[in-house]
Amino acid sequence: MIININYKTSYNFTSEVPRLVQQLKLSPTECINQKIIKWSIEASEGEIVESHKDCLGNQINNIYLQNLIKKQIITTKGIIHTKNTFGVMKGLHETVHPDCFLRQTILTKPNKKIISLINKKSKAKTNSIEFCHTMNTVVGDSIKYLSGSTNIKTDAQHAISLGTGVCQDFAHILISLARHNDYPARYVNGFLADDSGHGDNDTHAWVEIFIKDLGWVGFDPSHKCSIDDKYVRMGCGFDFADASMIKGVKSNFKGEETLDKEINIQLQGSQ
Amino acid sequence: MYNEAFDKKKIRKPYSNIMTWANSLPQNTVIKKKLQAENLFKKIGITFSVYNNFDSAERLIPFDMFPRIITRMEWMKIQDGVTQRALAINAFLRDIYNKCEIVKAKKIPGYLIYKNPAYEIKMIGFKVPNNIYSPIIGTDIIRTDEKSFKVLEDNCRTPSGVSYMIENREIMMRMFPELFQQLNIEPVENYSSYLLDILKSLAPKKCDKDPKVVILTPGPLNSAYYEHSFLADTMGIELVQGTDLVVENNVTYMRTTKGKERVDIIYRRIDDDFIDPLSFNQSSVIGVPGLFDSYRSGNVNICSAPGSGIADDKAIYSYMPEIIRFYLGQEPILPSIKTWRCGSEKDKNYVLSNLEKLVIKEVHGSGGYGMLIGNSASKAKINLFAKKIKLNPENYIAQPILDLSTVPIFKKDSLSPRHVDLRPFTLIGNRKIKLVAGGLTRVALKDGSLVVNSSQGGGVKDTWVLRD
Amino acid sequence: MLSRTAENLYWTARYVERADSIARLLEVAYRIHLIPNTHEGYMNEWESILQASGIKEEYLTKYKEINKDKIEYFLLFDETNGSCIKSCIMNARANLKMVRTAVTLEVWNTVNSWYHDIGKYEKEKYNSKDLPEILDWVKRQVNLIKGTIDNTQLINDGFDFIRLGLYFERADFTARIIDVKYFILLPSSSYIGSQVDNFQWSLMLRSVSSYRGFKWAYGNSDIDYKKIIDFLILSSICPRSIFFAIDKIHHHMNRLVKYYNSSNKAHKKIQTIYKGLRKSNADQIIEFGLHEFLTKFIDDISAIYNDLENVYFLGTDK
Repeated sequence: MIININYKTSYNFTSEVPRLVQQLKLSPTECINQKIIKWSIEASEGEIVESHKDCLGNQINNIYLQNLIKKQIITTKGIIHTKNTFGVMKGLHETVHPDCFLRQTILTKPNKKIISLINKKSKAKTNSIEFCHTMNTVVGDSIKYLSGSTNIKTDAQHAISLGTGVCQDFAHILISLARHNDYPARYVNGFLADDSGHGDNDTHAWVEIFIKDLGWVGFDPSHKCSIDDKYVRMGCGFDFADASMIKGVKSNFKGEETLDKEINIQLQGSQ
Repeated sequence: MYNEAFDKKKIRKPYSNIMTWANSLPQNTVIKKKLQAENLFKKIGITFSVYNNFDSAERLIPFDMFPRIITRMEWMKIQDGVTQRALAINAFLRDIYNKCEIVKAKKIPGYLIYKNPAYEIKMIGFKVPNNIYSPIIGTDIIRTDEKSFKVLEDNCRTPSGVSYMIENREIMMRMFPELFQQLNIEPVENYSSYLLDILKSLAPKKCDKDPKVVILTPGPLNSAYYEHSFLADTMGIELVQGTDLVVENNVTYMRTTKGKERVDIIYRRIDDDFIDPLSFNQSSVIGVPGLFDSYRSGNVNICSAPGSGIADDKAIYSYMPEIIRFYLGQEPILPSIKTWRCGSEKDKNYVLSNLEKLVIKEVHGSGGYGMLIGNSASKAKINLFAKKIKLNPENYIAQPILDLSTVPIFKKDSLSPRHVDLRPFTLIGNRKIKLVAGGLTRVALKDGSLVVNSSQGGGVKDTWVLRD
Repeated sequence: MLSRTAENLYWTARYVERADSIARLLEVAYRIHLIPNTHEGYMNEWESILQASGIKEEYLTKYKEINKDKIEYFLLFDETNGSCIKSCIMNARANLKMVRTAVTLEVWNTVNSWYHDIGKYEKEKYNSKDLPEILDWVKRQVNLIKGTIDNTQLINDGFDFIRLGLYFERADFTARIIDVKYFILLPSSSYIGSQVDNFQWSLMLRSVSSYRGFKWAYGNSDIDYKKIIDFLILSSICPRSIFFAIDKIHHHMNRLVKYYNSSNKAHKKIQTIYKGLRKSNADQIIEFGLHEFLTKFIDDISAIYNDLENVYFLGTDK
């Protein structure tokens, strides 16, 4: 599939920002599942400086700003050619051992409610792939999708007791459950070319679980499926906070900040 | 129990001179000198704040004037032993952040590394300048008999205490100059120039002039702040806080009255998590936004490297003999202490049924917190630890209760033996290793106590390595 | 040097100087209290200290009445009062501790023992009789600190920032005390220029420790309004005068500008003030209005500090 992406993030400030440092992980993953035909990152203010490629294959770039007035707009756009591999990630440029993703974080720490989503016995009875699909499904049923019901600080425990959440919360619960069952799991950021489901004007998030002999496999608990060629993978991390595509730290800023996102994803030829 | 000064009633040879001296002091001189020493410390400002203590007022670290003596021969062995460990630790860090051969060779179970939060995955694949991750290592050594010095703990993140080593000496020289004329004592005052030399040897490749070194401190409220300023002062470099540094275009600068000035090497005394709110703990206000990316871009070196802490993790400690063998092909010169890892079922069962005979330590604890000494703990505390171990076995290790050697301290009208340990500081840079002959002797001031941490009622002594 | 270092040195010096000023004021008040039938002058004295330090409101809210013992405690040890001697000492030391490495061990020792000893005075149940001893000790320590700085510090940019702190504080404090006392001494404007009781004038001089100095400078002639203005504002030989402080600030800013090889707003402004004062005389000031003159001066000095802060401490002035 050929997917056109146009993603714009605007940061609006009520007063001058004396100093702002931003860290961007805004390049699509280079792997067999997807080929980057064209990609660009632009910022309305400041110069984008290349830092390094981390062990997960994320290209890290930075923007350093001083005395920023009112607005910073970061725009990424490009064309990606995706393949359906039924969730299995191939050709990732990674140097990190999957077992690192057995570590729980503050956002993924399990509680009884999460642990009891799955019957221990089913783990013994089924093979790994089936078990992961089961986890994906039970997590998909564990909470209801409700836009705006949680925020960026909501952890897995809170989301499950709330009973509602967005893709980020589904992902955290699945990660929590998988890690608890000794499956390395991680948070993946990206885009979903999807006009049927939850039409939130936002990026999407899902989960990769490491299965022996297969490697990393992408599961989308908010849609109860494994990922396919409608998904464009950007980057991953231990949890939402770690995987963020844009992070920023302001110094001596006393005003308010608001965020606007605009996303336009189109399948080539469909319009 | 090994008394370093006495063999039953007989004074051991290395202590003979000092004992004559101590006995010749009239009683009131001891008290007077003690006061004098305390005043000197107060004036110089050696103070430390105690964690978990609501009264954050500064307190004086107790200093005992009776020196701890180490013979030349003993020191040679200690020196070889800690140097060996420093080399092994750096080789280990380089390996686990690159090829992980030690895991592939099945010398260490991978989960101990990969699942360990001290293993910083952001460091994987990064070539740190000159392959040195941890240039400053403090090794805690205990003595259990005439011959054996054993390693209790490695400290390779930001070991502290070196300023006490130097100041203790300074004070002893001021108070008892005659002793230094009589005895041939190895000096320790070169430490700071050694440290600066080692740090400068670790400049990033991009640095093509005399490298600018700074110390990064969390600030005056930190318990080791005095030491940070002491080291900056004696090295003649700036002591900076997070707000003094800025990163622009991946280059790190410090803010000066003349404008920005580029920084090449940061000797940081801030924990990994707080170095940079952009890459690590977002709520850190003592860090520098962008510093880690500046580091990864090769524009600045951070010493010790983020993620070095994995090497002094208590769970890794028990594998140190394997680590030494694997990287250096040598047998450990200083033995480690028998350690049970509660993560293993067999060890856990042993530990649970022998709690009153063991010391239980939290894997990630430090400074003597989260620790149980089985033979002196209350029933309630033992039960509490049993519960904790069952709940989270991987978080605990156990070691036998060791009889630390003793050295006399001055009491009001007599000398009295107290347990001690020793922390020498090994410096390892680009193709050079330096250490001063000596270290910090910590002493448990309470009779019979084995806890020497200053935060829990421990004191310090000057340590004399004799030249002959 | 680090911007923060410069800032901490500056504030260390300011707090040291402030402790000294308050000690000197307290001393005058104590002295008056020993002289019979001067009840009013005595109370004035206390009030003027509170007023000059800008803490009269704060004091009254907490202690309700003007009472000698309470004021003494408030000005010596009450930590809720940021301008009491103890707070000044603590602040001086806290600032210096941050830049322990920028001063010599001897300077640190003097400030550090000052800090440790004030605690002792407080603990030994404070008795009003001890006041002279405590004040004497405070002044002695300040002299020791200043002397140790002069004797052991390198005369580099750090030294300039220390001096700037000292003289900014002095300029500000002298201006405030003249302003406050002038109002107390001359409650009605019709008195201006008329002969006022010698004793009252001497109080003003004493409160800035310049009584003897004045006598030396002017012989044993009568103290009058003009001479006071001349001496406390325009004199180049009285170390407590405003001009003296400005002269020093001017000198040290000149040095910094040369040292860093770049000029700035603060420097230009201080030059203007310096030149203005040098040309001025007491008659001109009286014509302009003493209170107006002092108010403007205090504002100017504070604006210069802001510029100085921007250039050297914050690095926001480019």
